[in-house]
Amino acid sequence: MTAARPAAPLRRPMRTRWIRWVIIAAALVWALAPLLFLLLTSLKPANAFLEIPPRLLPSSVTLDNFRTAFNDFDAWRVAVNSLTVTTAVIGLSLLFGVPGGYALHRLSISPRVVIFFVGVLLFVRFYPRIATIVPWFLAMRELDLLDTRLAVILGHLGLTLPLATWLMHTTFRQVPAEFDEAAIVDGAGLWQRLVRVQIPLAAPGIAAAAILSAFLSWNEFLVAASTTREGAKVLSVTVAAFITDKGVLWGPMSAIAALIIIPPLVFALLAQRNLIRGLTGGGVKG
Amino acid sequence: MTMETAPGRLKLPGPSRLPARRQPQTGLWLFLAPVIAVVAAQLALLVWTALLAGQDWVLTQSQQSEGWTGAANFRAVLSDPIFWRSVRNTAIITGVSVPVQLVIGVGLAYATLEVTASRWLRTALLAPMVIAPVAVGIVWRLMLNVQAGPINNFLLEPLGVSGPVWLGDPGWALVSVIAVEIWEWTPFVMLLTAAGLTGIPDDIREAAKVDGAGPWRRVRLVEFPIMKSVLLLIVLFRTLESLISLDVIISLTRGGPGWATFTLPYYIYSLGLRNFDLGRASAASLLFMALAAAVSAAMVRAQTKARL
Repeated sequence: MTAARPAAPLRRPMRTRWIRWVIIAAALVWALAPLLFLLLTSLKPANAFLEIPPRLLPSSVTLDNFRTAFNDFDAWRVAVNSLTVTTAVIGLSLLFGVPGGYALHRLSISPRVVIFFVGVLLFVRFYPRIATIVPWFLAMRELDLLDTRLAVILGHLGLTLPLATWLMHTTFRQVPAEFDEAAIVDGAGLWQRLVRVQIPLAAPGIAAAAILSAFLSWNEFLVAASTTREGAKVLSVTVAAFITDKGVLWGPMSAIAALIIIPPLVFALLAQRNLIRGLTGGGVKG
Repeated sequence: MTMETAPGRLKLPGPSRLPARRQPQTGLWLFLAPVIAVVAAQLALLVWTALLAGQDWVLTQSQQSEGWTGAANFRAVLSDPIFWRSVRNTAIITGVSVPVQLVIGVGLAYATLEVTASRWLRTALLAPMVIAPVAVGIVWRLMLNVQAGPINNFLLEPLGVSGPVWLGDPGWALVSVIAVEIWEWTPFVMLLTAAGLTGIPDDIREAAKVDGAGPWRRVRLVEFPIMKSVLLLIVLFRTLESLISLDVIISLTRGGPGWATFTLPYYIYSLGLRNFDLGRASAASLLFMALAAAVSAAMVRAQTKARL
């Protein structure tokens, strides 16, 4: 690929290259400076955000805000709730979504039905949850699941399972059929074929499904907020509640916001290739 | 993941391909069953919303529905000025932020094309869209704070501009919501456009170059026609997501000041989860879904037309 292109970008005039890097630098500042400012605020002393004159950088660095968040706002328990919910959602999305996507690919049903079902999956993933939040609340009340982590997990599964199934369907379609057929000839059962043959071949797609499910669940607010009070509260709900309930405690609020922001950022950096594959619908190489 | 791990132990003579139809189907249906169950449950919730929309039920007054009221909830919503204000705000926010996202996002996709470490660069630029939307609201409450926020105190003041009370003034609050929406979602446009551009085979560009097409003509005559369907898909997707976005409003403005930044989702949220007027919230939900469906149908039609 590179051989066919004799270093065209390098031969651009100095001026365009220079402009390009100015644009990139500006974009980086625009995207990252607000996040950096939040992190800095979380490390300042509790009331330093409003000190006069205002400062950009903290005069002294302290973990006091995090201490307050953990001691007075139960951040530890809430973070554990978030972690539990997200882990369960990833696990269940893959447990059901991987075989589901495979079945959708291999079932001998008319391609039209498959396309229709994929359409339904996408609809269920993307229809606005605000439209069903009332019945969802009533359903959880009926099942006596209000304020349980199970309710949050089930609610998130409604978002992530259609997504995971769709991504896995796309992935399995790209695996050449010969692998499966050879395994059938060898007498492998359905389960064996899925676990031994298909899953190793579909690993990148599975990774993308896991990452997107994780982000969806960790960041989700509305479904979690509708059924939780205190016991099963997750980070997103706590972060949003700060604004009305406690006046504005800028320090601890930034600390809790930092807790919910940092994991996805780290994760995005570690898993960039799979993340990009998932976000671009599996069709594009990252 | 190479050929060795594939089951290549021995190939039987005879039919090398078994027709897929011979596979037992029961196991596959069992595989799909949990997905069908979850999808069915989610669709049932929509039906439930439709049923609630015809009932009189305010949860703070009664633990049970107080019976059918026909179209009363719809009439109440449609005659509520706050509903129409929410429609207007939603239209403004989506109508302004999506085109701006598109322009900046496409620009950034080109700027980050063929740059060293472009994947790292793009991942860094993705930061606003991978963090929780409720946290996005918090981040910008800090940034836009009048007393100590960097926008007014470190960006505008040195320029001799005294910044507005961003979140306290009705007009500026709407501007703030639009700006935050742009901040959060421009990376999405960049990512998908860049993916589409990378997918254009190099020889097509080379051929155009050999034929003497300058950069602008190459973009207009070669890349744009190929990218058109991708761009329309991005616009469709961003428009829908923008119509239904709620979390940022909740953590940034709570619809305020007054009703200045009420959007349709926030209107439903405040009816349903704050006033507990289940019937009206459901009626508003149905109206909202109908609107979103109409918008997407119009855009899909535009896309099919553009393809022809």
